[in-house]
Amino acid sequence: MWRTNLKILGLTIAVLAFYTMIANIIPQLESEVPEELDLTAGVTPEALIAAGDKIYQSAGGCAACHGLGTRAPNLLADHAGQGTIGARCATREPGVDCKAYLYESLTQPSKYLVPGFEAIMPDMRRQISEDQIWALVAYLESLGGEVTVTAEDIKRTAPAPTAAGAPSVAGGGVAVTSTLDPVALVSEKGCIGCHILDGKGGAVGPSFDRIGATLTADRIRRGILMPNADTAKGFEQFAGTMPTTFGQMFSAAQLEALVTYLASRK
Amino acid sequence: MTELTLLPLLQAAADTSGAYGTFPGIGARGAIWVAAEVHLMFAAFVLGVPMFAVICELIGIVGKEERYDKLSKEFTRLLVFAYSATALWGGLLLFLITTLYPRFWTHMARIFSMSMWIYAGIFFVESFTLYLYYYGWDRWKEGRAKWGHLGLGVLLNVFGTTVMFIANGWLTYMMSPPDGMTAETLPESVGTWNAIANATWMPINIHRLIANAVFGGAIVAAYAAYRFLAAKTDEERAHYDWMGYVGNFIAISTFIVLPFAGYWLGREIYQYNQQMGITMMGGFMSWLWIVQAVLIGVLFLAANYYLWTGMGRIPGADRFSKYTKWMLMLLVICWIVWATPHTMIASRSELAAMGGAHHPFLNVLGVMSAKNTAVNLMILTTFLSFLLYRRANVRPTVAWANSGTMVQGAMFVFAAAVVLFYGVYGYFVEAIVRIGFSVYQVAAVILCIVSVTVIDILIGRGAESRGEIQWGKMPDRSQYALFVLAVTFTWLMGLMGFARSGIRQHWHVWQVVRDTSVDAATPALGAAAWMITLCVVIFLSLVAFIFWLGSLAEHTVQKKGAGHGVPAPVPSGATGD
Repeated sequence: MWRTNLKILGLTIAVLAFYTMIANIIPQLESEVPEELDLTAGVTPEALIAAGDKIYQSAGGCAACHGLGTRAPNLLADHAGQGTIGARCATREPGVDCKAYLYESLTQPSKYLVPGFEAIMPDMRRQISEDQIWALVAYLESLGGEVTVTAEDIKRTAPAPTAAGAPSVAGGGVAVTSTLDPVALVSEKGCIGCHILDGKGGAVGPSFDRIGATLTADRIRRGILMPNADTAKGFEQFAGTMPTTFGQMFSAAQLEALVTYLASRK
Repeated sequence: MTELTLLPLLQAAADTSGAYGTFPGIGARGAIWVAAEVHLMFAAFVLGVPMFAVICELIGIVGKEERYDKLSKEFTRLLVFAYSATALWGGLLLFLITTLYPRFWTHMARIFSMSMWIYAGIFFVESFTLYLYYYGWDRWKEGRAKWGHLGLGVLLNVFGTTVMFIANGWLTYMMSPPDGMTAETLPESVGTWNAIANATWMPINIHRLIANAVFGGAIVAAYAAYRFLAAKTDEERAHYDWMGYVGNFIAISTFIVLPFAGYWLGREIYQYNQQMGITMMGGFMSWLWIVQAVLIGVLFLAANYYLWTGMGRIPGADRFSKYTKWMLMLLVICWIVWATPHTMIASRSELAAMGGAHHPFLNVLGVMSAKNTAVNLMILTTFLSFLLYRRANVRPTVAWANSGTMVQGAMFVFAAAVVLFYGVYGYFVEAIVRIGFSVYQVAAVILCIVSVTVIDILIGRGAESRGEIQWGKMPDRSQYALFVLAVTFTWLMGLMGFARSGIRQHWHVWQVVRDTSVDAATPALGAAAWMITLCVVIFLSLVAFIFWLGSLAEHTVQKKGAGHGVPAPVPSGATGD
């Protein structure tokens, strides 16, 4: 019987060793924790690029979509004959320089949706901090262009400390402005990246024009707070696309102002 | 240092102070990992086995076949010991979480306290139901009392499933907390039911329910394999050969359904949060699915090998043996396709070396169209093996047997054609359309499995036997395939546990409670694999010990029984009559 026991033991060890070996010979990718960067006034472009490169490959998770060119434009290689992202970013939108284009693309991903791709990218402020976003911008600029990010940019967009003296949200925080103007909110939160308002905007979600004629205020509110709860007819292919984070992006008064405004558009 | 950089550091220090404990050697996360995973493995076993213990008992009652009743009791005897181990590891896990992750535990307790008390209460009742079920076996074995005993088994399943659903509510809350919840949300303001019934709760419930049956079947089959190899008499060998077959049948037949539940879970994760879905399938975890494909390939090959070898003990099965080489070839080709990598994080130098974003050759095989096609063909092939096994010693007597068999063949051809058609067509359409094709492929395979099984049952009515199955006449090597299955299923469970937990990355509760410990980074697969192997070694060692304990108890009972003239159980056909 000992012979049988040894055979079973040997087989078990061999099977375990095989799986452990397979898992160790494939590329080893660790999901690192986003680091707080020491981006003081004396930060060099090289330091920013190095930090951005690291974030791009790890905590930012950017390479998962942008390294392939199928789910999102390839940023590291040529796209549509326009070169790498650093070379093409300044010409993407008239009047918008490279730095602003990249920053806004990271924080309002639906704003400059590249034709042929869906609005699946989340607001990166949910995932990484403001200084990390600027490091990413610097890194992307370096891919074929000139790095123009400075410590002033980081200071300018830094989140205001909360009453306790700490940044508001762990992932970096989504800016919450105090405006109650619904049109300004629609613009500020990037809604028109996917919804049409006054004939302008994307067609990924239902148009805001005359939306009050078909949806009640409650239904609109639920659509904003729980976008996956219902799928609008005709937009089934985009189900799950709308970020679920709008509840955190509005104050209660802003949300009600927006809901009232949309419900009144009949 | 400026105020800008100082504030986050101070906050991090404040967050971490007193939030985490330390553990010697493997660290706090390692300790939790081992305790949670080993507890989960035992829990899967003690939840899976009662399902088919009750089904076997029912078959025994309805069919008046005592061998099924004895088999069911033997399953349950294993449960009694494994149940204690489950509770012990659960207790250890609780102590480790409260001492090593006190802040996180406080957060969970503030939301789930009520459900935790209910959990403990049901666990208590479940324990006593199990003891009544096992120890009352011989007392309540006749007439109405037997049905009452079966009712205890049903209750055992109900309690066990409820306990699992509650625990699933806690862990799925960590993955997918309710919409609108943020780091600032007061835990008390989140309703317990709202937190439990989150986006991934039901998919995980269903996935685990099926996976537990798979796992329980595989471990029981391995137990039977060991007893087969250690058997001293033909009767014993016959009994454990049959038990191994039943365990393997349950494991593989339920395993075939598991990918569909997994698909639902993955879809819900994507719908809940695109980023989490992308991290899971295309981010730092993309290679995990290659490892998973390797493991599942081994499972399919080992399961089919066991069936093909088992056909050697069935009179008349040799007429099908010529097909096995073709099925093996198909399985291997599909395995290679499934294990072909596609989505990977490539550096600039790697992109340059490949000449583009994708590898020129692997790109074609590594996409979902090819993988879905491969896995569906593997499922169909394995089902065909089962069918041939079932039909091996059957000589149908119904008049329509030939046309029925032709319809079955046509169903296979139709399903394979649908799978192949949409597999190829998927290369020519947009991704959003392609994703929908997998539904058609899965539907065709399920339709084939269901309709062919129904036809086969009808064809088998009144069929003549080509000879009794020669239980026990199995080569020893076939039993080692059952060990490979058990070890692989266990490792796979550890791997999937890492996938489910790892997609939260540096969050205890996704985007609500951040992990600020020294172990916050999610390890790479290599490091995770060592931890999984450690958990599997601990689990299998304990299982071996428990089974040995079970055999000690059995020897005692048999010695007493021998004195009273009680014969050892012998399955029908054991002697080859």
